[in-house]
Amino acid sequence: MSKPKVAFFDFASCEGCQLNKLNLENSLLSILELVDIVEFREAMDDRADEYDIAFVEGSISTPTCVERIHDIRRRSKILVALGACAVQGGINALRNSQPAEWVKEVVYGDDKYLFPSIPVQPVSAVVKVDYEVRGCPMSTPEFLHILKSLILGRKPEIFDHAVCVECKSSENECVLETGMFCLGPVTRAGCGAVCPENGQYCSGCRGYVSNINTDGALEMLAENGLSRLEAVKRLRLFCSSELVELDGVK
Amino acid sequence: MQRIKIDPVTRLEGHGKIDIFVDDEGNVANCYFLVPELRGFEKFAQGRPVEEMPRITTRICGVCPEAHHMAAAKACDEVYDVQIPSTAKKLRELLYSIFFTADHTVHFYALGGPDFVVGPDAPKEMRNLIGVVKTVGLEAGKKVIKLRALAQEMIQTLGGKKIHQVTSLPGGVSKGLKEEERKKFAEYGKYFIEFGLFTLQIFEDIVLKNSTYVDLILSDTYTHKTYYMGMVDDNNKVNFYEGKVRVVDPEGYEFCKYSPGEYTEHISEHIEPWNYLKYPFLKKIGWKGFVDGKDSGIYRATPLSRLNASDGMNTPLAQEAYEKFYDTLTGDRSGSIPVHHTLATHWARVIELMYSAERMNELLNDEEITSDNIRVIPEKTPSEGIGIVEAPRGTLTHHYITDENGIVRQANLIVGTTNNHAAISMSIKKAAQGLIKKGVEITDGLLNKVEMAFRAYDPCFGCATHTLPGQMPIELNIRNLKGEIINSRKRNI
Ligand code: SF4
Ligand code: SF4
Repeated sequence: MSKPKVAFFDFASCEGCQLNKLNLENSLLSILELVDIVEFREAMDDRADEYDIAFVEGSISTPTCVERIHDIRRRSKILVALGACAVQGGINALRNSQPAEWVKEVVYGDDKYLFPSIPVQPVSAVVKVDYEVRGCPMSTPEFLHILKSLILGRKPEIFDHAVCVECKSSENECVLETGMFCLGPVTRAGCGAVCPENGQYCSGCRGYVSNINTDGALEMLAENGLSRLEAVKRLRLFCSSELVELDGVK
Repeated sequence: MQRIKIDPVTRLEGHGKIDIFVDDEGNVANCYFLVPELRGFEKFAQGRPVEEMPRITTRICGVCPEAHHMAAAKACDEVYDVQIPSTAKKLRELLYSIFFTADHTVHFYALGGPDFVVGPDAPKEMRNLIGVVKTVGLEAGKKVIKLRALAQEMIQTLGGKKIHQVTSLPGGVSKGLKEEERKKFAEYGKYFIEFGLFTLQIFEDIVLKNSTYVDLILSDTYTHKTYYMGMVDDNNKVNFYEGKVRVVDPEGYEFCKYSPGEYTEHISEHIEPWNYLKYPFLKKIGWKGFVDGKDSGIYRATPLSRLNASDGMNTPLAQEAYEKFYDTLTGDRSGSIPVHHTLATHWARVIELMYSAERMNELLNDEEITSDNIRVIPEKTPSEGIGIVEAPRGTLTHHYITDENGIVRQANLIVGTTNNHAAISMSIKKAAQGLIKKGVEITDGLLNKVEMAFRAYDPCFGCATHTLPGQMPIELNIRNLKGEIINSRKRNI
């Protein structure tokens, strides 16, 4: 059997996800032997190519991105979104909270009419995404797990419980009890509750559990003294595509 | 002159772009350097709690999140007017020194260094980390990988995450260092020193002993006399984490020295109509266009600038290297005469690498570092704060103004590379003028020599990642005065 062809593509991003892959070092090297990697820059020169697995990071922010992601989807058997930008829109989507015209003017000045801009979206808003690796930056153990499973033809396990659960199992001091607010009770696990573990609140970079009780989350944050608007801002920091019911809260 | 078209870019998506205009004779008339950059970040900060800034601004750049994390946290300390405990300060500086060593390592071995170690005319497949390893041996490659891995491990412990750290917050840090961690890291620290010395030696053996390279460094093509900026302590020694920002003139005399809070008195930002980049300049001198010299407000903020703006280094091995640097390049080991050769920035970077490795060791052997007095809870009403650190690519300033609830009303960031936009444009122009002439064929080696002029600045627009282990994505267009492209080269786009 020939090695599966794996490609990486990036859109609007801080490159943190790419760098995080380099942090895999040894485990990456052994996996690389099992697959045929087509780097994204080269990949783009070779438009006729097809891939078994395409990893996509970054969010969709221009009409060119839309065209490109459709093209990638067409040529890929499996498409995996990597990191908050690709999965939930990520921090880039903060841009959506500002008037689009203003952003263009600031960024492009008088040339703004040359640059059609669209609201920042996650990859899944444009094409079908088969699997996702959450986190900002994307979690490397999860990335490895998905890559391995796909190579072996297994279905990867998907987390859908709260960061809070992970925190409890590592016996961290509860952040809520220190007087800070925390999004751990509604944020999707998988990071090992790393922020609470380090004395910080969870800012929800992994997006939310699928059965999130939005009203409950708002109430919880109200108990921490956050106004409704503040609570919504906190909840949507990394998530333009989740909790859309909170759109328009002023 | 034609207005230059800018490619559609978003935050850090895209590539560096150089436009060179040639006249009818085929000589360079003008030259523009464009980088994708989104100034919108300052606007997004508005209306958000300032306390969040150390965790949001990291996402500006996955290559140097530590720098934004620190500058933002320092600005927040100011906003709340808190004096952070000494241990908290040391823990932040420790994280920062480790980051500096690792970042300079990556630049030297994978990005800028290859021009020298492998050679500017080497085929492009060789001008990368792989080429460096082939030249200096496999051992060097392993050493680089080991240094990076150890640094990442320590950054994770100290910052919570390898990328996008979370532990610095207004009033201090959220997590202390345990004694067993300190012990382990102190062992790693010895390796960092060894690595610094090893890198200085490589520079000496491969670059300084090769007269062709030394001539290249000293050549006029890569020389500009400008002002230099860098943060210094009370004794005018280089400091990356805190101090005053000192600026020296092209002759090496102190021009000004200011505390973070005074930056608006000294720095202004010029906007060119053809570009959306900001060009900071010295306010008291003024913007005189893209020219160097004492009458032009253009300054540089790079590793070379930091050495020029200081009177030396605070640690012994780095100080020794500092003296040798000036002795070799100006004949005055005190460092009071500035070095104007842009390519000497690579050497300066290695000296800084040595310093940060030594500084990290000092901090790891400081008794106070494991104390649990790491945070003061801010109690005062928040208002305004400015935080400055030296980022690997230049002085980084974060400025926030908040309402009485700590909600950001206004934010301004002057990012490391931004300081150098004007100087980078000048350096490219000069290199292009020296190299591109009527009848000269635009070869890959020539393109690389133009590129070298700005690679010394280590411009950070995410290029660093695209280049591991390849090359900076760059587009170079040669245009006639009507703006029509007459020759174009693209790489890795
Ligand atoms: S998900 Fe986070 S780390 Fe990854 S590219 Fe986006 S901002 Fe950077
Ligand atoms: S604890 Fe929350 S903010 Fe921190 S990494 Fe995990 S999901 Fe992201």
